[in-house]
Amino acid sequence: MPMTIKVITVMFIGLAGGLAVGSGFVAFLTVLGIIPRLTQLTKTMKMIRHYEWAVIMGALTGIAGSLRDPILGISPYFMLPLGLTGGVFVGMLAAGLSEALNVFPVLAKRLGIDGKIIILIMAIVLGKIVGSIFQWVFFVHL
Amino acid sequence: MEKTVYIRMRNRVLAKPEESIYLMDIAQIIAPDSIVPELKKMKVHQITDRDKNIIIIDVMKIIKLISSLIEDAEVQTIGPAQTIVEVMLKKKQMSIPLFILIWFLLFFGSAMAIMNFHDDVSMRSVQEKLYRIITGVEDTKPWIFQIPYSIGLGLGMILFFNHVFQKRINEEPSPLEVEMFNYQLDLDNYVIIHENKESMKRANDD
Repeated sequence: MPMTIKVITVMFIGLAGGLAVGSGFVAFLTVLGIIPRLTQLTKTMKMIRHYEWAVIMGALTGIAGSLRDPILGISPYFMLPLGLTGGVFVGMLAAGLSEALNVFPVLAKRLGIDGKIIILIMAIVLGKIVGSIFQWVFFVHL
Repeated sequence: MEKTVYIRMRNRVLAKPEESIYLMDIAQIIAPDSIVPELKKMKVHQITDRDKNIIIIDVMKIIKLISSLIEDAEVQTIGPAQTIVEVMLKKKQMSIPLFILIWFLLFFGSAMAIMNFHDDVSMRSVQEKLYRIITGVEDTKPWIFQIPYSIGLGLGMILFFNHVFQKRINEEPSPLEVEMFNYQLDLDNYVIIHENKESMKRANDD
């Protein structure tokens, strides 16, 4: 009997933890507005339900990958699109975050360069790319 | 007969120092033809050195001026209750060295920020593990994953702000343009309340 109680307690705590993390994840995505932005760009508002499911399935796949440690043993070239899409996602997160924090309007107003704000964005974009490549190619192996 | 004058204040107007502001500069006017020219040329404000770079012209002042000019006018106002006049004190000259400084500040700042972020979320170990899951091979330098990731990072930001395909995909404003607009509205709202002596009056002021 005590065993059953223990199992139920652990399951309950696991479920509660998952619920908190999962809702936090979705809330984070919602605040940064990545999915609406993508549907706006591609004019696929009707498919929004499917996008929701894509996020959920992706999260579940990630959970399976990180908890179970499976080995698929397929070609490393599969990593190319995976890396690219993963990067685009993180890039959109970063852009959404800097937009939520009102960085660019304030900066442009202070410097009086309303027209050339694209150049400032390019500075940040290139900085991210260079910083990231530098990190993976040199920095982590120093 | 009553002469009905419809006035719609403009939101923002740019003006030069020492300039006189006429009603036609700051408002749209619909009125009987006989009084329109008179109204258009009505002087509302003379910018002097004492003015700061923001002047708020309240519609109440306009109504007062119009009724003193045309006795039997009935003024109907539509839209904003005031116009923000921004005086261009000097032509905003952007200094190139300052701009370059900011550019590199942002460049190195974001490079460092992304490295800190990767380290913070242990992205290296996640990527190596992902590489092992998919290929079954242990590799401490999974560049085939990491380089596309890094390029995708930049692409994602560009995609979000929609600058590359600005004209091609659609005509909707990008989030940044909306954000700039909202920020300007917030600033305008602030100056409307704070620079306008009438709206901040205390009960025991005079």
